[in-house]
Amino acid sequence: MTAVIPASKSRQLRACLLCGLIQTSNDFRFNGCPNCEEILQLKDSADRVMSCTSTYFEGVIAGIDPENSWVQRWQRTSKYVRGMYAVRVRGRVPEDVETELENRGIKYRPRDLSSDQD
Amino acid sequence: MSDAEDHGYDNYDQEDDERREGQEDVEQDDQPPRRKLYDEDDEDDEEDEEEEEEQSGRKEKKRAKHRHKRDRAARFLDIEAEVSDEDDEEEDDEEYGNDGFIETGGAEDDDSSRRHHARLARRQMEEEEKSPEQIARDLNQRYGGRAAVRYTGDMNEIPQRLLMPSVHDASLWQVRVKPGREREIVFSLMRKSLDLEYTARPLQILSVFQRDSLPGMVYVEARSSQQVSQAINGLVGVYPSRGIHLVPIEEMASLLQIKKQDTTVTPGTWVRVRRGQYAGDLAQVVDITENGEEVGLKFIPRIDLTPRDDGGDKKRKKAAGMRPPQRLFNFEEVIKVHGRNHVSKRGPAYVFQGDTFKDGFIEKDFKISALILEDVNPTLDEITQFSRRQDGLEESLVDLSIIAEASRKAAISVLQPGDHVEVFEGESAGVHGVVEEISQDVVTISAVGVELEGQKVELPARSVRKRFKPGDHVKVMTGKNADETGLVVSVTDNVVTFLSDMSMQEVSVFSKDLREAAEVGSGTNVVGDYELHDLVQLDLQTVGVIFKTERDSFRVLDQNGQVRLVQPHQISMRRDSNRAIATDSEGHELRVNDNMKEIDGEGRKGRVLHIHQSFYAFLHNRDITENGGVFVTRARSLASLAPKSSPLKLAPGADLSKMNPAMQPQGGMVGSGMTRGPRDRHIGLSVLVIKGPHKGYQGIIKDTNGPMARVELNTGNKLIMIDKSKLYHKKSDGKTEPLDAVGFNRGHRQGGNAGGGNMGPPNGSRTSNPYAASGGRTPGWGGGRTPNPYANSSATPAWNSSSRTPNPYAGSATPAWNASSRTPNPYAGGQTPAWSASSRTPNPYSNGGATPGRNHNASSGGWGGATPGRNASAWGNDGWKSPERSGWGSDVWNAPTPAASAATPAASAPTPAAFAPTPSNYAYSMSAPTPGVVPNTPGVMDYEDSSRDPYDPPDDWILDEKIAPHQTKLRVVISGSIMPPYLEGKYEGRTAVVVGATRVRENYEQTAFLRFEDDGEERSILTRYIKPVLPRSQDETALVIYGRRRGEVARIRQKPDSQETTEMVVVESIGSAGAAYWECQKDHMCAMAG
Repeated sequence: MTAVIPASKSRQLRACLLCGLIQTSNDFRFNGCPNCEEILQLKDSADRVMSCTSTYFEGVIAGIDPENSWVQRWQRTSKYVRGMYAVRVRGRVPEDVETELENRGIKYRPRDLSSDQD
Repeated sequence: MSDAEDHGYDNYDQEDDERREGQEDVEQDDQPPRRKLYDEDDEDDEEDEEEEEEQSGRKEKKRAKHRHKRDRAARFLDIEAEVSDEDDEEEDDEEYGNDGFIETGGAEDDDSSRRHHARLARRQMEEEEKSPEQIARDLNQRYGGRAAVRYTGDMNEIPQRLLMPSVHDASLWQVRVKPGREREIVFSLMRKSLDLEYTARPLQILSVFQRDSLPGMVYVEARSSQQVSQAINGLVGVYPSRGIHLVPIEEMASLLQIKKQDTTVTPGTWVRVRRGQYAGDLAQVVDITENGEEVGLKFIPRIDLTPRDDGGDKKRKKAAGMRPPQRLFNFEEVIKVHGRNHVSKRGPAYVFQGDTFKDGFIEKDFKISALILEDVNPTLDEITQFSRRQDGLEESLVDLSIIAEASRKAAISVLQPGDHVEVFEGESAGVHGVVEEISQDVVTISAVGVELEGQKVELPARSVRKRFKPGDHVKVMTGKNADETGLVVSVTDNVVTFLSDMSMQEVSVFSKDLREAAEVGSGTNVVGDYELHDLVQLDLQTVGVIFKTERDSFRVLDQNGQVRLVQPHQISMRRDSNRAIATDSEGHELRVNDNMKEIDGEGRKGRVLHIHQSFYAFLHNRDITENGGVFVTRARSLASLAPKSSPLKLAPGADLSKMNPAMQPQGGMVGSGMTRGPRDRHIGLSVLVIKGPHKGYQGIIKDTNGPMARVELNTGNKLIMIDKSKLYHKKSDGKTEPLDAVGFNRGHRQGGNAGGGNMGPPNGSRTSNPYAASGGRTPGWGGGRTPNPYANSSATPAWNSSSRTPNPYAGSATPAWNASSRTPNPYAGGQTPAWSASSRTPNPYSNGGATPGRNHNASSGGWGGATPGRNASAWGNDGWKSPERSGWGSDVWNAPTPAASAATPAASAPTPAAFAPTPSNYAYSMSAPTPGVVPNTPGVMDYEDSSRDPYDPPDDWILDEKIAPHQTKLRVVISGSIMPPYLEGKYEGRTAVVVGATRVRENYEQTAFLRFEDDGEERSILTRYIKPVLPRSQDETALVIYGRRRGEVARIRQKPDSQETTEMVVVESIGSAGAAYWECQKDHMCAMAG
């Protein structure tokens, strides 16, 4: 599966705080995040998009073959759809998402490279 | 219509009913009937179109698909409008089922699209009736299935280190791209790979990424560089020509880990606005949104209080107008200008033009990306503006902690060893001391104080600050007050107030910008192009002398005694009065730098700084406080302090001629009094030792005592006593002559300037690189007195290159060299910087020749001159110090000896001693390793014995029978035509190519027709002024003009020394003599053109 590849010049590029996928805010609103929609519920919610995605990201990865790419494995996006990913995204997901992740026993790794120490 | 169809439709209805009852899996049940419907359609078609019976099932399917598409669209289209079409065309009717429309009507319509339409409408109706819970459930069912990707974060548990790349992973390749287009290129590659995915040649790259901190590069993950170049082929802004570099596997992870030091924004942080009306303005963060993307700022507004007439449209106004000045919001002022209606009051704040103003400040939200967070460096002025309240009543002190925070980062970088600092936070707060050492963020201070005296304390740099106390004399290092100096009057935390030496005003600066300094006044006396005590032209009539420099202006005393404050741009030019003279009251001449006294008026004394128009004299006296000690007076009212011995009664004419600077002999300024000149003319000469153990060395005569001279060798900075007869003067053009000839020649050349003459040549010949001159002269190599096997070994590439070319280590392939590379570093950790720099490569010696330090010595032939002194100074390496050998030769050429081969660790011999061969070793090791060294021609030896006296060709050398055949290519130089003058000497030193020459009768002067190289002039010149041009570069062809091989053409195979004329150089015979290598004294040859 492939995410919508936004125009690189777009000003509304946002990166998902959970998976790092880069889309325009409109795409996030219309389609949600193809990887994390189930937990983030971005679709049709501009507020949600605002709080779960960020324009403050750095480094762009073109994930062409996620399954086989080391870059994507390093970024922990191997299982995700093909698309553009950010290397770093500043910010954390809202608390409710963090709680939900905790409930599911998923370790939350913020994408701001702050938890790379292990 | 057919029953089946009706049934289908009923079936659908039924399904709908079921759904309404809340049964599960509606969607799945919903699908089959639809499919059934299409099948029925097809059946329908088949019935109608009997003539197409033979149609294959595949085609049917295809059509079904087609129909399907249409149906989907039909959900959103009002297909009813197609009715007319159906009426028009019979075929259409056939396809859709002909008369069914009219017969059935309404719900019984057989047109599937129509049915969908209806169904859609019905479903909408149904959904409206549904409870919200039901809707939610339905939605879940409808999309839950599709978005089956339940977020599991299954990879999140793996520690990052286990994700490190392995050899099985594809590699990363660094590709250079146009800076600024990195992101675009990553996107392009993504799109390109998607586009080509199902083509014959899909891209085989796995990923591409870019980091903002690595401008001009993208990284492509692929198995081979070919795949990368295939992928980037044709992309604009990618520079494959600059190489596709493999990223080492251990660096891969760090590329993705790079993290810019996060600048955290907290309330109170100082930031600057990046662009817009407030670009560059300082602002303070008030609050931050949850996701950290926007911050609320407080800053000083720029409200236009002089708006233009409303007539103009906004755009033009914006473009034309300058931005209004920063000014705190003043309610009264604003309503006066803009009217009361435009400003509304909300609680403590005002709203004007959509902005909120509080306490005079504007409060506005900005995106972080629109702000500058780094290097904000708020100045004290800016910050105090924030503290100032509009009403002036509330005098809130600057929050110094905030400033401190802001300036802290910078503070680290301004600390220097020797600074007095104090610790202001942490457990050792209050301690003060002197900075001993700084490494990154840690400073080591040596504490000063009762208890801790002398202890070394390590501290984070951020918790110390420079310490000043009242009374310190300080200098401002950076900022707008840079170079201001003054006495500290008060210190408040990190703000230091001092009394400026120049303006006598109090200046407050951050302590980080200060250093203790003893100097007074503006640190530099230079502002722009002008300097203290310069004579400057202010306007046509006025000149003046700068007596004080200020930060960006001068105080100038003009010729009328007026003091002016002048900006650099007001000065039209600087005047030079070095040559100016005037006459003093007694008629003596008066020059700059003379000490004079006023004979009238105040009787001031002073040193003459400048003379203007032979009338005004500017003098300087430190004892006079007024105008910095500079005063102006008339030259006529001055008298010399040191009375001149013979007051000449000067005739006006004589006086004038003396006063005319143009008639002064050049260099006359030096004056006899200035030269403490050497008594012996030879002192200061650049000389060459021609005999004895120091033969070949170059030096400068420092002192003479009878026949002995003390010579400072250029090499090794050594003084030797040596007999003058063993010295030859080395001229700046590289020629040598006996010392006794010096005086005579110089006399000619330098005319009457005997006084300063001695000073010239030594300075000129003292080249910055002493090795350049002397290196080649070492006995071992350049001297060539011994049959030097190396010289002849030009057949071996190693030698060829090492003889003069930069890389003596071209032989790096030799074991010896590798061996030394294995040693820990015999060169003691890179005495030359370049050396250590190159040590980053795994084998620094493999490209050792590229290190400048080496090149330096090598190119100068320094390797040959492995003289004791030089070894000691240049390398400080004991291994090189054995005085009797030729240092480098032993190093490289020793290679085959076991001790040096060092390929085995045991022999790797970190001790330089391993290389130190005995002198005897030298001889053997030289010839042993390279059999090719054996001279090709026995003839070599002939030249060994020939004396190496400079060869002066006979006057008619060019007409020699053996030379004459080659004469038209000979390069010659005109020499000796100055004294006695021949053609006014104007051809002296010029080089020419011989065009032709024939011998004329014995008692006539022989001439040759020459074409001068510089301007192409052709004329005949007496042959006795024609001298051969010595070959100067490697591979040059030259004609042998003297000796047994006279008349042979040879090619220079060794870079000749630039100065030494009697040098033996390796040449290769070409032409008839054929490829023999031998040595020839340089001045036995004449360079040939072309």
